[in-house]
Amino acid sequence: MTSINFPSHFTRRTLLQRSAVGFGSLALASMLANNSSINAASTDPLAAKQPHFPARAKRIIFLLMSGGPSQVDTFDPKPLLTRDDGKPLPFAKPRVQFNATSNLLKSPWRFRQYGDSGLPVSELFPHLAQRVDDLCMIHSIHGTNPAHGGAMMKLHTGSDNFIRPSIGSWVSYGLGTDNANLPAFVTICPTLAFGGINNWSTAFLPAVYQGTPLGDASVPSNKARVKFINNPLLPREVQRLQLDRLNAMNRDHLERVRSGDGRVGNPAYELSGPEASLEARINSFELAFHMQTAIPQVEDLSAESVATKKLYGMDDPVTENYGRMCLMARRFAEAGVRFIQVTHNDSKVQWDQHADLKNGHEKNAREVDLPIAGLLADLKSRGMLDDTLVWWGSEFGRTPTAEGTRDGRDHNPEGFTMWLAGGGVKGGFRYGSTDDYGYYAHEDKVHIHDLHATLLHLLGLDHERLTYRHAGRDFRLTDVEGNVVKELFA
Amino acid sequence: MIWTVLFVVLMADEPARVEKPIGEKPTAEQVRFFETNVRPIFVEHCQKCHGSTKQWGGLRLDSREALLHGGDSGAAIVSGKPNESLLIRAVRHQDENLKMPKEGKLSERQIADLARWIEMGVPFPNSPKVNGRSRDPNHWTFLPPTTPPVPVVKNGAWLQTEVDRFVLAKLEANELPPSARADKRTLIRRVTFDLTGLPPTPDEISAFLADEQSDAFAKVVDRLLDSTAYGEKWGRHWLDVARYADSNGFDENIAHGNAWRYRDYVVAAFNRDKPFDRFLVEQLIGDLLPAADEAQRHEQLIATGFLGIGPKVLAETDEAKMRMDIVDEQIDTFGRVFLGLTLGCARCHDHKFDPIATADYYGLAGIFKSTQTMDQYTKVAKWHENLLPSAAATAMQADYDKQLAAKKSAVEMFVANADKQAREKLAADGVEKPPEKLEALYPAATKAELKKLRDELAALEKTPPELPAAIGVTEDKIINVAIHLRGNPLKLGDVVPRRTPPVLRGPHVPQFTDKESGRRQLADWLIDPRHPLTARVFVNRVWRWHFGKGLVRTTDNFGLLGEAPSHPELLDWLARRFVADGWSVKSLHRLLLNSSTYQQSSSPTAELAARDPENRLLGRANVRRLDAEEVRDAILAVSGQLDSTIGGTLLKVKNRGYLFDHTSIDLTDYTSRRRSLYLPVIRNNVFDLFQLLDFPDPAVPNSDRATTTVPTQALMMLNSDFVMQSASDFAGRLLAEPGDDDQRIARLYAIAYGREITIEERQANQSFVAEVEKTLAANEPDATKRRRQAWNVLCQLIVAASEFVYLK
Repeated sequence: MTSINFPSHFTRRTLLQRSAVGFGSLALASMLANNSSINAASTDPLAAKQPHFPARAKRIIFLLMSGGPSQVDTFDPKPLLTRDDGKPLPFAKPRVQFNATSNLLKSPWRFRQYGDSGLPVSELFPHLAQRVDDLCMIHSIHGTNPAHGGAMMKLHTGSDNFIRPSIGSWVSYGLGTDNANLPAFVTICPTLAFGGINNWSTAFLPAVYQGTPLGDASVPSNKARVKFINNPLLPREVQRLQLDRLNAMNRDHLERVRSGDGRVGNPAYELSGPEASLEARINSFELAFHMQTAIPQVEDLSAESVATKKLYGMDDPVTENYGRMCLMARRFAEAGVRFIQVTHNDSKVQWDQHADLKNGHEKNAREVDLPIAGLLADLKSRGMLDDTLVWWGSEFGRTPTAEGTRDGRDHNPEGFTMWLAGGGVKGGFRYGSTDDYGYYAHEDKVHIHDLHATLLHLLGLDHERLTYRHAGRDFRLTDVEGNVVKELFA
Repeated sequence: MIWTVLFVVLMADEPARVEKPIGEKPTAEQVRFFETNVRPIFVEHCQKCHGSTKQWGGLRLDSREALLHGGDSGAAIVSGKPNESLLIRAVRHQDENLKMPKEGKLSERQIADLARWIEMGVPFPNSPKVNGRSRDPNHWTFLPPTTPPVPVVKNGAWLQTEVDRFVLAKLEANELPPSARADKRTLIRRVTFDLTGLPPTPDEISAFLADEQSDAFAKVVDRLLDSTAYGEKWGRHWLDVARYADSNGFDENIAHGNAWRYRDYVVAAFNRDKPFDRFLVEQLIGDLLPAADEAQRHEQLIATGFLGIGPKVLAETDEAKMRMDIVDEQIDTFGRVFLGLTLGCARCHDHKFDPIATADYYGLAGIFKSTQTMDQYTKVAKWHENLLPSAAATAMQADYDKQLAAKKSAVEMFVANADKQAREKLAADGVEKPPEKLEALYPAATKAELKKLRDELAALEKTPPELPAAIGVTEDKIINVAIHLRGNPLKLGDVVPRRTPPVLRGPHVPQFTDKESGRRQLADWLIDPRHPLTARVFVNRVWRWHFGKGLVRTTDNFGLLGEAPSHPELLDWLARRFVADGWSVKSLHRLLLNSSTYQQSSSPTAELAARDPENRLLGRANVRRLDAEEVRDAILAVSGQLDSTIGGTLLKVKNRGYLFDHTSIDLTDYTSRRRSLYLPVIRNNVFDLFQLLDFPDPAVPNSDRATTTVPTQALMMLNSDFVMQSASDFAGRLLAEPGDDDQRIARLYAIAYGREITIEERQANQSFVAEVEKTLAANEPDATKRRRQAWNVLCQLIVAASEFVYLK
C-alpha cells in the first residue's frame, strides 16, 4: 500500500470516527490500526463485515453469457430430441412465448462424457470439458421472463418489474470489501442494453455499493477503464500539489462553517451535522488520488507471465478479448474484490441465435471456452478455487424447437443450465433436470430466486436476514421467495 | 386471556364483515387444549408462510377471524365441521393440489387434534401481541388538515412571516433560541441557488449589499421568482417527482422523442405561477378540458404526458400482464406523487400498514384501465401520442400528401407510356395478342428508370412527416376491473366499481359513470380543498426543497410507515394557507423565504447543536450540497460558458429509436453547454456526471434526493474532461480581463464564491500558481503555456473545493 501523509489536522480518533466515506477509508484506518483499538468498521459502510455464518466462498466471479446460450447444445444432451428431430413437441409450449417456434430441432453438436465424473459436454466446449470434474451443473434453472431486458434484470436483481439492487450490490452491502482501495463490486465490459446500469446499480441501497464498471460492451477489454480514473493532462506531481492546496482550502472552509460561537470541542456536535459530510469529502479526495494508482495496478497485466497469458488464450486474437477479462477477474479476486462480473459480448447479438445457430454458437463458444478453462485452471493452481465461486450462466436458455429456417432457437426461460465451480460446491456434479426434450425444468427445479439464495448462502449470508429498510419495509434480494439448494454444497 | 374478537369497521360505506363468535367463552379446558395441542402446530408448521409476514395464497393462520375468512381458495375452516374444512383436507392430503404443510405430512395425532379443535368451535384466544399502529383509519394523514391557531410567542422581534411563529413557539417550548440571521452574502447565494439553481453574479451581490432597505431581501426573492431560471430550477423539482425521462428505459430503451414538450410545459407552468390545482388537473385530464385556443389545447394535451412517460416493459409478451403493469405504474406514481402513499402494495394484497385494501387498488385501476396509454401491446409495444393539430401541421401533411400523389401519378404515367411503346413494338413485330403484363418486355434503360421512380416512391412512403405530437393519454373503453388475486391477471375475483380510497375522508365522494374513464372525477376529488393529502404533500415538498428536509421527512410516504411531522400544526396551516392563496406556488415561496426561519445562519450554538443535532426544531439553516445540475450549471456559469437558450430537445435519437442496443454504443451527446435541465435524461444510463452526484433514478418518483460522498465524485472533479475544460475556460476568462494577478485572484473568488478574498488566501494562491509553474517546467518549456496551465489547475481546484459545491 502506498504510504500517504494524512493531514496532521486530524487526530487519529476523529479520522477513524468520521471517515463515513466509501472504499478507501479503511485503508487509512488500517494504517493506523496497529496501536489503536478503535474498530473502523462501525463507521465505514464498506469495511469488511462478518457473514451471518461461516462462508464457503469469499467472492464470486460471474461469467455472464449475454443473450442466452442453448442448454441442449452445450451441457444438457437430449437423446429424444435427436431421435424426434423435425417432429412436433409432444406437449404444450408455454402460454407466453417470445417468438413462434416450429418443430423440434436436434443439436447440431455431438456430446461426449468427460472426466472421472463423466459429465456430458458438447463439442462446443472442448477445453472446458477437460475441467468438468470441477463443475457443478444445475440443469433445472428457470425464470419467468422471456425477453432479454426483463430476464436480465430478474437475473441481476431478482425483479423484472421494479428497479431493485443488483446481487453484486447486496453482496457488497453484506460483506464489505477486503481491499479498501478498491470497490467491492466491479463489472467488466457490461452491456448497456437490457436494463443497462440497473443491472449493477444499488437502487435504494447506499451509493457506495454500486458496481464499478470497467468500460462497457462497446469497447474491447484492453480499453476498458474505470471512468475518470486518470488525468489525461496533469503530471502526477502537479496533481499532488493541486490536491494539497485543495485539502488546505477545504479544511479552512470546514473551520469557517463551524465557526459559530465556541462549539469546537463539543463531542456531541463533532459526530453529527454537516461537518461529517464535509470531512468525508476531504477524505474522499485523498482516497480518489490513491485509487488512481490502485485500480490501474490491478488492470495492468504486464507482470503476468507469457505462460499465464497463454493459459487464458491471450496469444490468439479469437480468445484475446475474453481472456483478458478473465485474467483481470482473477487479479481483482486476488486483490480482494467481492463480486466480479465478466460479460461476454461481441457488440453484435452475443448468444442470441434466433437464426444462424450453428455459426453463432460456434463463434461464441470459441471465444470463451479456452479463457474460462484457463481461469479455472489458474484459480486452482493458486489455491484460490477453494474460496472463489465461479458462476457461469445467462438470462435464459433456448427452445429445443426451431425458429425460422431450422437453424435457430427462441428464448426459453422455462428450463436451462448454469454451472458453478469452486467456492464450496460439489465438482463433477449434476443437479436437476429438464424434460426429455429440454424445454421445461423438470426435477429439482431451481428458480432464479433459489439460485440467489444459494449464492448468498455460499458467501455466508442468509438471504432472509440480508435486508435493507426502504420506504417503510425490509427488502431483500429474494423478495419473499428463495430456497437454498444445499444439495450442491461440497 | 380474554376471549374477545375485536371488529373494526374500517369504512362506513361498506358493510362490516361480522363473524359470530362461538357463543360461549372458551372454557379453561378449551384454552389449554388449544395452547398445548393446536397453537404449536400453527406456529411450527404454518405461520412461516401464512402469518404476519407472509400470506401465501392470501391466507393467514394466526387468528380465528383469519381462519374463518380464509384465502384465495375460500374459508380455511368451517366451525364445528372438520370434514368440510379445507384445512383438514389439506393436512390429510385429500387433494392432489393441496397438501400441507409443504415440508411433510403432520402426524395422525396432530391431524386428529386439529379436527377435534374445529369440532369444539375453533376456540382461538388472541395472542397478547397486537400492533396498534397498523392500518389505523384515523391516522392524521387520512383526515382533512386541521385549522390550528397561529401560536403566541415571546420573542416578537424575531418574527417576519407567520411561519416563524410556529417554529419559534416550538423552540421556545424547548427553551432554545433561534440562530442569528445569516450575513447578506450567504443569504443571496443561498436564495439564488434555491430559486434558480445558479450562483449570484458579483453585480447582483453588490446591488443587494448596497440596498439597505428593510425589504431588500424580499426584492431579491421577487426578482428571482420573475426570472426564467426560476422555472428551470423548480420545474426540475417537479420532473423528479414526475419520473421524467427522454427514454423508456427498462428492457427496450427507446427514445421518448416528444417528452421534452412535457418538460417545457412544466417549466412554463412554474414560471407563469400556474395554480397548482390547475397544474395537477391538466396533467390528469388535459385531453378532456375545453380550450380557448389552439395553444391552450396543445398545452393541455402535452400535460397528460405525466401519465404516459412511465417506464414500461415494452417487450413483455404477456399482453394482459403488460396492461396491468402499466396501470400499476400509473397507480403507484399517482399515489406517491399526489397522495404520498404507496398504493402499489395493494395490487397483490391489502396494504400491510396503511388502510388501503386490494379493492381500493382495483377501484383506481378501473380508472386507469379505462384510459388509453398504449396504441399497441404487441412487442415492441407502442405508447400513445396525441397529435398536436395546427395549421402548420395540416399544411405539412397536405404537402406530403400532394408529393405522394404526384409521385404515384408519375409512376402510373411512366408505366402507361412504356406499355404503349411496348405494344407498338409488338404490333410492329407482328404479335397479335400482346400479353397482359408488358413490363418484362421493356428495354433495359426503361426498366432501370422505372425502378428508380418506384424506389423514390417507396422511400417517400416510408417517411411520412413527423407531425408534432406529445406522449399522453386519451379515453379508452370504460370498464371496471376485477380484483386480480395475488396480482395475477389469470385469477380474477370480484369486479370493483371505480372509486377513490374511502379511507381518505374530507372531499366529496365522486360518482363514476359509464361514459367517462373517471379521471375527471379523480382530479376533482384530488383538488377538493378538504382533501387530506394533496396540499399537505405538496407544501411539504416545497419545504423540503428549500430547507433540505421536509416537515415530514419521508416526503413521498405519508402513510403509517412515514415519519410524523416535526411541526404538524405548521404543516396543516401551510396546506390551508396554500389553498386559500389560490394554490399559488410563488406566494408559498414568498411566505417561506421571507421568514426569519429561512434566513437563519447555518452555524448553531453549542447548546442547539448538542440538544437538536438533527435540526428537527429548525433553530438554524441546514448546510447543503448543490444538486447535480447545480454543480454543472454553476461551473458553466462561472467559466462564462453557460448557454441560456430555453426549451426544445437535445436528443439525437429519433422518436422510438433505440438509445442502446446490443452494441452498447452511447448515442447521446452531453457536450452541450445549455442548462443541465435540457440534457437528455436517459433511463438505465443517466449521464455519468449526474449519476455520481445523486441524480435520482428517473424511473421512479422522488422528491427527496440523497447526498452521498464517494471517491468517484472526487475522481470526476479531478479528472473529467468537463471539469478540466471548464476550468480552462474559467482561466481564459480571467486572464483576458485587465489588471494584475492580484486582482485576478480576487476576481476568481468574487465570481466563484461571491465573497472577498483574504490576504492569506491571496498569498497562498499566488505561491501555489508559482509552484505549479515551477513543477511544470520539466514538461513544458514554453513559459506562456506554463502560466496558462497553472491557472487552469488553480481554477479547477476552486470549483472542486467544498466552498463551491456547498451552501451555508
